[in-house]
Amino acid sequence: MKFSDVFVVDDDKIFHFIIKKLLLSNNINVEPSFFENGLLALEGIQNKMNKGENPPDLILLDINMPILDGWQFLEEFKRIKSKIAKEITIYIVSSSDNKADLNKAKEYQEEVSDYYLKPMTVDDLHEIFYK
Amino acid sequence: MIINPSLQRKINLENEMSYKKLLSRLPDLIFQLTYTKNGQIVFPFFNKAVIDYFELSKEEIRTFNISSIFKSKIYESDFLQLLESVEQLNNLDSSWSFEFRAVLPTKGLRWFKAVANVEKSIDDEITLFGRMTDITEEKEKEIHLKLSEERFQFALEASTNGVWDLDIKNDRVFYSSQSMKMLEFDEADIIDTHQKWDERIHPDDLDDYQSAFNKHLLNETPFYENAKRMLTKTGKYKWILSRGKIIERDDKGFPIRLTGTHTDITELKQQEKKLLQTLEIINEQNGRLMNFAHIVSHNLSSHTSNFKMLLDLIEEEKDTGTIAEIHNHLRTSSNALSQTIEHLKELVDINTGVVQKKENLNLNLYLNKVLSVLSEEISNNKVKIYNKIPKDYNVSFNPSYLESILLNFTTNAIKYSHPDRVPEINYDLKSDKGKTLLEIRDNGLGIDMEKYGQKLFGMYKTFHNNTNARGIGLFITKNQIEAMGGKVEVESKANVGTTFKIYFNNEI
Repeated sequence: MKFSDVFVVDDDKIFHFIIKKLLLSNNINVEPSFFENGLLALEGIQNKMNKGENPPDLILLDINMPILDGWQFLEEFKRIKSKIAKEITIYIVSSSDNKADLNKAKEYQEEVSDYYLKPMTVDDLHEIFYK
Repeated sequence: MIINPSLQRKINLENEMSYKKLLSRLPDLIFQLTYTKNGQIVFPFFNKAVIDYFELSKEEIRTFNISSIFKSKIYESDFLQLLESVEQLNNLDSSWSFEFRAVLPTKGLRWFKAVANVEKSIDDEITLFGRMTDITEEKEKEIHLKLSEERFQFALEASTNGVWDLDIKNDRVFYSSQSMKMLEFDEADIIDTHQKWDERIHPDDLDDYQSAFNKHLLNETPFYENAKRMLTKTGKYKWILSRGKIIERDDKGFPIRLTGTHTDITELKQQEKKLLQTLEIINEQNGRLMNFAHIVSHNLSSHTSNFKMLLDLIEEEKDTGTIAEIHNHLRTSSNALSQTIEHLKELVDINTGVVQKKENLNLNLYLNKVLSVLSEEISNNKVKIYNKIPKDYNVSFNPSYLESILLNFTTNAIKYSHPDRVPEINYDLKSDKGKTLLEIRDNGLGIDMEKYGQKLFGMYKTFHNNTNARGIGLFITKNQIEAMGGKVEVESKANVGTTFKIYFNNEI
């Protein structure tokens, strides 16, 4: 297993449920932490670090969210990245196949490793966790 | 000196002989015409040139009946007029001239001019001594010139273009009647100097005009061309295109004369403006279409992808409790999808003008209406309302849009009021660059404009941890304002408050 500590950042609670079920039914033994927007996810990372814990090793990030959306999260993440000793992999997981979004993701090549389009499939999960 | 009379006679005779010789050999046609007492016109003398002039045939030379020759060759009307003009000669006339046309066998139509001295004998006979010349070439030139002058004059009058002619040395300009008409001047108005024309140029266009003109004077441009606004006699501005060229220079090469045209391009400019406006509308609509495409990709696909994933799960699931849970989620997704579709329908309606009927509405009245609808919320939250909108101000707007907009801004101001202070909402009518705007200012939570400014009016955008927020209100509001030809701007500071500015477009 490539990742053991996973953050899912998405304002859609149904998506939280789906991810949980998909991991479970595919025997991927990971218990992700769920956050409804970018700000909460940032606070999650901060909390872990404050407690002296390791930050997550994978973040599945939605784009369209209230308070702090995916792009804003990435902007903030850029700023704190240097303080994090560990490598964090970030995948965007969005339902948007809009060119503007796909192009914008390329602007964050340093932070974003890949762009997954919803609906997420079992194959996607296998690719993320095993390949 | 004594002259021998017999010798004198001889010389005279010889002279007479040589005169006759001379006369007969002269290339000009020499003639004598006598108008007799009894009213007859006879030609006692012609020199030989008459043969060539009128292309006489051998037969005509033999019989030499001059009046029948003339009758057959000279235009009938011209011949009759010729005779008439001779008959009308009176005692005082000392000279006579007449122009006439003749048709000759080979030369065709020719113009002749007869010039003669008039002499009157004691017995009241009138005799003309004179010569005829072929003036066909001069006549043709004259006719040609007259024709082209007439054509030019006609072109000047018929053309919508005006003509100007500038004499730099004497500082004089000629403006054709069309040029004058463009500025609503008539012949009585005198505009004959550069200055009198130039002072009517719109101040904003003066620099461009002068630089274009000087560039041509300095030979930097092959011709001069400039479009500018000019004040007409009645105080309107018209767009006039002026083109010209130096046509004369002095010995040193300095320009001394320029000539050119004026064209009224006001209509063209207006159409250009309309075209630009249309382009703007297209751009705007294009932008909305893009926005719509964005909404679809973000908000519709998220629901459909949920369906797909939930259906995948339900196929594999055996536990009835989990299946029921998945069903629940399917229902939630279905409801959310329906609502998004409703919102999109509303958006399309706003943008396609299904309900865009504009009416003249009293702004103060409508605001009071909305405030009374919200009276409970206002009193529950102890909101202070300051309505400073003049009672007589009307806006041209769709009534339900106006209500919805005022309702939305007001509820937002209440919803996001600051917990530490008494909420205040100010409604004010202001003007900015000639446009009237409604200002709605609150002292609420405010928004970090740097972070959220661009997204404030987006669909499903919420910025505060407020569970009531759906993020649709401002999006719909903005679309309604824009559908009415207006626009909305926002100024805000976190923890200070928010000001919305709604610009109205009262052109119907």
